[in-house]
Parts: sequence; C-alpha cells; structure tokens
Amino acid sequence: MSNIETVIQAQNLRKEFILSESGKGVWGAAKALFSAKKTIVNAVDGVSFSIMPGEFVGYVGENGAGKSTTIKILTGILLPTSGEARVNGIIPYENRKQNGMNIGVVFGQRTQLWWDLPVRETYEMLRYIYRIPAGTYSDMMKKLTAALDLEPLMNMPVRKLSLGQRMRCDIAASLVHRPRVLFLDEPTIGLDVLAKENIRSFLRELNRAEGTTIILTTHDMNDIEQLCQRLIILDKGRVIYDGETGKLKSRFVHDKMIEVEFHEKVESLAGLPELEVVGESGNKMRLKFQNGGSGITDVIGRLAKLYPIKDISVREPSVESIIRSIYEKTVLLPEYREKE
Amino acid sequence: MNPATFAKFASVSFQKQITYRFDYFVAVLNGFLFVFIFTSVWKSVFAKTGPSGGFTPESIVTYAVLAMVIRISFSMDDTTIYNKVRDGSVAMDLIRPVSFYAMNLAECFGYSAFHLIARGIPIFIVSALLFGVQIPAEQLPLAAVSLVMAYLILFMLNFATGLLSFWVIEIFPFMLLKYGLLNFLSGGIVPMDFFPAVVRPYLALLPFQHIFYTPTAILTGHVANRAAMVMIAEQAAWAAVLAGICALMWRAGRNKLVIQGG
Repeated sequence: MSNIETVIQAQNLRKEFILSESGKGVWGAAKALFSAKKTIVNAVDGVSFSIMPGEFVGYVGENGAGKSTTIKILTGILLPTSGEARVNGIIPYENRKQNGMNIGVVFGQRTQLWWDLPVRETYEMLRYIYRIPAGTYSDMMKKLTAALDLEPLMNMPVRKLSLGQRMRCDIAASLVHRPRVLFLDEPTIGLDVLAKENIRSFLRELNRAEGTTIILTTHDMNDIEQLCQRLIILDKGRVIYDGETGKLKSRFVHDKMIEVEFHEKVESLAGLPELEVVGESGNKMRLKFQNGGSGITDVIGRLAKLYPIKDISVREPSVESIIRSIYEKTVLLPEYREKE
Repeated sequence: MNPATFAKFASVSFQKQITYRFDYFVAVLNGFLFVFIFTSVWKSVFAKTGPSGGFTPESIVTYAVLAMVIRISFSMDDTTIYNKVRDGSVAMDLIRPVSFYAMNLAECFGYSAFHLIARGIPIFIVSALLFGVQIPAEQLPLAAVSLVMAYLILFMLNFATGLLSFWVIEIFPFMLLKYGLLNFLSGGIVPMDFFPAVVRPYLALLPFQHIFYTPTAILTGHVANRAAMVMIAEQAAWAAVLAGICALMWRAGRNKLVIQGG
C-alpha cells in the first residue's frame, strides 16, 4: 500500500477512547467504582489521506474533531485502534524512536523546552538526544538563531519567556535535527498579530527553501489562507474536505454575497429568482447569489433596472466563513454529500 | 540510549536538584535526625537484650547508619510519570527518539546522585564520627554489586507503579501500599533478622528485602560470602523479573494512554 513518494500516509485510521462517567458527588463516584457507564467515543473515525514531500497542509476542524489525535498517532504518541499510518515509510507508533528522528513536533499548548534550564541548554540537550554532529549542529543553530531572533533569549530560563518567545524557541527546538516532516499543532495559539506574522513568514520560508513537509493544525484561518496550499477539513473524526485551499473558495463562488443599498425601501424582490434575501435593515439588503444560468453582472444589471440602487458591493466569502458554514452544516460539499 | 545522552539526562536532572537549596538543608537535618533516632533506639534496646538476631550493639548501630544513608542516597522522585500523565506532558517525552525507560532511569540517576553527594555522604561522615561505623573492606566489591542491583530493583518498582497512571488517573492508593511495604519489609528500618521465623521464608519470596536489607547486610559483613552470593543472585533474578514486568506494562500501557488536555 505504501507509495514510495508519499511522505505521510493515513489509511482508515480510527482511534476510540472509552469514557467512563462518574456520577455526581461522593455517592455517584462510589457507584461508578462498580458499575461505570462507559461510552465509546470515536475521536478519529476512518481517516485516510496521503501527503507528498514538500506539501504544506492545513489540518482543520472544530474542537474535538480529531485533529490533535491524528497528529498524536502520526507522531507515535498514541496507537490507533485500527487502520495504519506511515511517516517516511515508518509506522510511527510501532517504531516510535526511529520515527522521532525524522519528525519535528510543536504542540502550541505545551513545551518541549526544559522548564528549569536556560534556553541554550535545551538545544544542547537536543544535540545529544538526536546525536547531531557538532558541525551540523552549530550551522543549524546559527540559522535558527538568526531566523527566529533567538540570540537575546538564549541565556534566559525557559520559565521566564513570554508566550511568543517560548513559541519561537519551541519551533527552533523542533527543527534542530533537520526533520523532513514538521507537525505543528496550533503553533500560533494566543499570539499577537506581529508574532503570528513572524512565525508565518518563517514557516513559509522553511517550506520553500528546505522543502520541509509541514502539517499545521490551527483555528486561525489566516494561517491557512496564507500558508497552506492544501486543506484537509475534519468533522467528528472524518475527513469532509481534502483539496486545494484555493479551490475551496472557487467551489463556493456560487455563494457570493451582495450588499445593496436602495434609494428607497424595497419590500420584496420580484423577478429575480437567483437572489435570496438573507438580511434586511432599512434601505439595505443582504443578498445571496447562487451561480446558476446567468452571471452575476447580468443579475446586478437586471436588479438595477428594477430598483434604483444607491450603493452596491459584492463579497466573496472568506475561507473562514466557508469553513464555518461547513461546520454549521449550512452548506454541504458536493463531493461529500452522498456520505451524509 | 547511548552513554553520552544518558549522562546528559542525568546531569540535567542533577542540576535541577541544585536549584532547590532550602529544601536541601531541611532534608539533611531531617536525615540526620532519623539516624540519631534509630541508633538511639537500637542502643537502648540492645542495652537490655544484649546481642540479638546476629547483631552486636556495635554492629546494629552500623547497620542502622548505613541503611539510612543508603535510603537517603536512593532518593527517587516516584511521582514523575504520574505528573507527566496527569498534565499530558508525557506527550513531549514520546516525540523524542529516546527510550522512555532509559530516560527515566537517567533522570532518576541524576536525582539520586545529588542526594548521595549532598546528603548521603555528609550524613555518613558525621554519623560515622559520632556513632562509630565499621565496614569490613573485603565486603566492598560484593556490596557494590548488591547496591547496584538494589537500586535497579527500587527504580523498577517505582517505574512500574508510575506506569499505573496509564490505566488509572489516581495512583495514590498504590503509592501508599508501596510506601508501607517499603517501610516495613525492605529492611530499611528493621533488619529481616528480627522478623518472626514463621514469616521470614515468605518475606524472602518478595523483592522488598533486597532493596535495603541485602546490600546493608552485605556491606556490614552481617552475612558471610557464600550467603551474600546467593542473595545477590536473588537480587539479579528479581531485577530480571521486574524488567520483564516493566516492559510488559509499557507495551500494554501505550494502548491505554490518553493525553490529557488535548
């Protein structure tokens, strides 16, 4: 099954967790000791995809959709209940240590830095862990120090770093051994706009210049729009979209939004079946245009003839709003419709 | 894990201990207080009973001092795995290309090394001067082997208890059980010779007496060479059994592990 060219392959991955509910209070807890209600939750429920070398993939979904669980299987932390994963041809959870040599991992909510040590010591430590030759190590450290502006932080104890500083140090730590694959689980969480921007441009450059394959999970759609050529959307443990980020947008062109301000209040739109009224206030109206037989300019022309228009603007939905509507099930992606 | 990486992990863990200086002074006093109490108790008991259980009034004091110094030097942080599973940071250990077992052993080693140097040795020197301690030099080679075995047995006991956190969220009851067994059945406080003859064969079937009783008894020359060799062989057998248990638990536990906090 393993294609030589793919760097990451997930085949029907499933991970179930057993939740045992404990009742309320002491009595409930005591009862749970003997007859715990057990619920099986499928955090990842049949996920398949394959990723080529050098791809920058956004892996998104709501909280609890199974993003982090997938990442934890691919990094060898968790074992899947069924299915198979391969990273660089290695099954990560069976050869955890070997897999660890080839991958870099950043969990935005955790740190792999040694809390009590100065930053520099963590990198020194990692040199031993990954058995990096001294020359390679100092070259890589020079690069990372310059690119992530680490010099002022090197002698600071990790616990004194700000979140943005810590994240830069953590990203550097995940790259010291020049991994071919980088997993980033919410690396921009809690960062300010400038810090986010710095990290984005660093990642873009890493992907471009080094050809590092990057899998990014995030809730920030700007991360996705700016970085990821490819997008995988997850919902309740299943892949509901896998394709180019740009195409997600073009597929939704039929959902353009038109905001119109008329000269006088219009009660209802007659003779324009292509337009659906989604909002109204005073002389203003928000209309949804679905691409059908006629083009948008034609429809606007006819609209303007029927009702005098003061102002008009046409907006394409952002990736964020598309994804939100996917989550909310207000739109269904055509190719996944039959699955629902 | 190669020796250099092992040493690095150990030295970082050692350094970390140095940062808690206040803790250290309290712990030295505390350790010395225990030595004082135990030697005083044994002295007054032996003053009434005379030689007993194969000990003379002098040799029981030596035993009490050494058992305490070994206990102090074998200090281990047995809550590491529990804490890491509880806050989910165990994930960060698992992304690295190192054996979880070897890493924990290395860190434990650094931790104990600090307690040996900072507490064990000073307490030993002061106690030896105050209470008199006799160590037959010819016992040292066997005692060294026995001490290494004892250390590994205690480490693996702690490691296995820690791994229980992969199955249950709260391992405190198991810890309490472990502390109880260690306190009473390891020979750290009372040498096995003073247990009733009826129970001794059963205690010999457990690993606990091999943690403090065996190395202390060998070090003080309380047991003769032949018996010492047998005890070391038993230690080695227990170390092998525990290594097997740890490996099995690790393999089974990986399946059960849940990373808390996403």
